[in-house]
Amino acid sequence: MAEIAAQVLLGLPWTIAVTALALAIGLVLGMPVMLARRSRWPWLRFLTGSLITLVRSIPPIVWLFLIFFGIGSGYFKISPFAAAVVGMGLISSAYMAEIYRGALLSIHSGQMEGASALGLHPVRVWIDVVAPQLFRVALPAMATFAIGLLKDSAVSSTIGVPELTFQANAQSMATYRGMEVFSFVAAVYIALSVPVAWLSRILDRRLRAKVSR
Amino acid sequence: MSGEQALSTLSENMPKQPLVHVSELKKSFGSLTVLDRIDFDVAQGEVLAIIGPSGSGKSTLLRCINFLETPDEGRIRLAGVEIDAGRHPGQKQVLQLRRLAGMVFQSFNLFPHMTVLENVSLAQKRVLTRSQSEADARSMELLDRVGLSDKAREYPYRCSGGQQQRIAIARALALNPKVMLFDEPTSALDPELGLEVLSVMRELAQDGMTMIVVTHEMHFAESVSDHVMIMADGRIIEYGPSAEIMRNPQSARAQRFLHAVRDR
Repeated sequence: MAEIAAQVLLGLPWTIAVTALALAIGLVLGMPVMLARRSRWPWLRFLTGSLITLVRSIPPIVWLFLIFFGIGSGYFKISPFAAAVVGMGLISSAYMAEIYRGALLSIHSGQMEGASALGLHPVRVWIDVVAPQLFRVALPAMATFAIGLLKDSAVSSTIGVPELTFQANAQSMATYRGMEVFSFVAAVYIALSVPVAWLSRILDRRLRAKVSR
Repeated sequence: MSGEQALSTLSENMPKQPLVHVSELKKSFGSLTVLDRIDFDVAQGEVLAIIGPSGSGKSTLLRCINFLETPDEGRIRLAGVEIDAGRHPGQKQVLQLRRLAGMVFQSFNLFPHMTVLENVSLAQKRVLTRSQSEADARSMELLDRVGLSDKAREYPYRCSGGQQQRIAIARALALNPKVMLFDEPTSALDPELGLEVLSVMRELAQDGMTMIVVTHEMHFAESVSDHVMIMADGRIIEYGPSAEIMRNPQSARAQRFLHAVRDR
């Protein structure tokens, strides 16, 4: 079993890499997407809203197939890992934009007005006043999404990314010990998810303690 | 008469330029006209109280002075900075204007993720580019002035409503504004806590701060302000020295309003 476990764990860096990169893309791109969704121009709001709906309506596995077997085969060569990161990053951006939007709506408009009335430049209003409050509100939803993304990264096994589920599948077929192999890989996913949830709860409690009784 | 004396007499006789000059100000929300050709001046050191029924445009007028609301038309001049709203002013001009006007809101609008000291120091660092220690030293002076230096390290939620509003006043004063704008500063407070805020405002007025105060506090309007403006339906229906306006309003609408608020 130790040998099987060692083989399965070869997929761990790939799982972490796909999840972390897709999450990073989402964290960064989610912000301009959210801002475009709240633009003063109706056409941009409509365009961004439609794109978010489109991205969220299609299952992750279909996105990965579309990128890897569709764009990747006909137009330009793309590795399974890159296709997984791009696909999951795309999905991540759409979800993060909505998480940010929800968090922004919870911030009282008086916060922006208070900062603007002090003569702060709009960029500073965002950096000093809006963003810290936005991330505090968004944190629990972001942690839930990150855990979901970690589990969804298993989908990338279908296009050949040698991550945890891919390795487990290979070991199961090679050894016919499916029960043990998949139980082990399930335990690895739990071991990865629990600290994320735990850390986010601690951070949330700490940040919340500053602003409420 | 010496040349110096002549110059001094001349400058005394010349009409003083008002610190705040608002002319032909118009603002609509869709088809609803909220401000209709508003004109008024406020002299240096003067306290102007703006009163009137809800929906009369008082708060919108105040918010137009520092462009939190952009007027559709009209001109605003504040301590030498003049903006013509009709010409779509740039961000630089608007920021310049805001730096001259401190604003205090009904709902305080303190930043909950910052300590009281950080709240007061923020704009000093960002706008006046003061160092952290300079800003903090000035903030402590201002917090002391509003009687709250002991709260400097606390977060706003640990302060009462009255204390939060006094902190908001200190924060607005931190930029050394030429004029202070108060938007119903005591409306969210119970009468006892409102008194602490009014007392700080009274001291500010005594120190010569130019103030424009939108208020429902009739006693404050009568006893502290130099002039009172009564608004209704987006227009100024009465304007003049406070004692005169509060005791002897001319228009029927103003009489009705004052009668109603005094009978409450």
